[in-house]
Amino acid sequence: MGRIVFAGAMSHVLDPDYYGTHCGPRGRQMVQELMALVGEMGTRMAAAEPDALVVVADDHLNVFSFNAVPAICVRIGTHVERMEQDHAVAFDRLLDRLPRRYLLHEALANTVLEEGLEADFDLTMSWEAPLDHAFLSPVTALVGDGTVPPLVPIFVNCFVAPQPTPRRCFAFGQHLARVVARHPWNVAVIATGGLSHFPELTFARVGESDVAFDRKIMAWLGAAEHDALCALTMKTLHEAGGHELLNWMVAAGAAAPARAREVYFGELGRINLAAVEWELP
Amino acid sequence: MSRYAVNTLLYRLKKDPDFRARFAADRAVALADADLSDAEREALVHWDPRQINALGGYLHLLMSIPGLEGH
Repeated sequence: MGRIVFAGAMSHVLDPDYYGTHCGPRGRQMVQELMALVGEMGTRMAAAEPDALVVVADDHLNVFSFNAVPAICVRIGTHVERMEQDHAVAFDRLLDRLPRRYLLHEALANTVLEEGLEADFDLTMSWEAPLDHAFLSPVTALVGDGTVPPLVPIFVNCFVAPQPTPRRCFAFGQHLARVVARHPWNVAVIATGGLSHFPELTFARVGESDVAFDRKIMAWLGAAEHDALCALTMKTLHEAGGHELLNWMVAAGAAAPARAREVYFGELGRINLAAVEWELP
Repeated sequence: MSRYAVNTLLYRLKKDPDFRARFAADRAVALADADLSDAEREALVHWDPRQINALGGYLHLLMSIPGLEGH
């Protein structure tokens, strides 16, 4: 039966110009280092020949607001479009250079959704949600000039309270692993975002990150301390600016009980950039 | 419910170029029919992102409205 053949997580604003503007030459250099390492992760992912790439990321109040805000949403259908915005913010302008449409792995997405509901995950489905930088920047950095595997985009509500809990996101990741194990596809999983930035989502704290919190998270991921990760509260994540850890919790659940190897950790003040790759059996 | 009113306005400003143009031309007129408190209306008319954020406006919206981005 199928296997998860690759699992990783990485920051998702992968734009040297953005960090050059907001964090200076060091910011530009650090994100370039991260992007190179993500490219190496992509080489390992491609070598594993996944039939599909599950991408777990968040909506920055760009897709779903405000008629409905799904806690966890599976993007279904045959194709997905990249988001088109007039006057997009800097790192979303990068999308203009990317393909307009991406193939979805329709069968896997439908199976994640259907078997998720059967397993009591009250998932949302969308045929229309487009993808912004949170999805496509990491995918592009991973794949480079290669072929993008058929995608299964999964949106997690990281920012609009009340959000799903870290424990629930981890459990959903475990659901992904069970689905893969029951079906014939070999699957890569990535989660994007983070690490800490924009604590409390308040202007007064833009520019801050929480190095101690992020170091603790990286240590727990590295030691597969999943009970500690699942015991985190949304209040803790909100205060630290760790909202997007919810995405990483899904990947951690999918890869469990594997440990995550630190690929990159860089302190940038405004955010801590990071990438991990799970050491799958 | 006021937080909803503020954020739907911010979302419209981000996504609706016509509304954004009306807002740029005359903020008070553009907001005339909006269901806002006096404090919210004042913060929006004077475009004070920190105050809008303090009143419940989502940071990511405030940081991504074309021409009005706050960092």
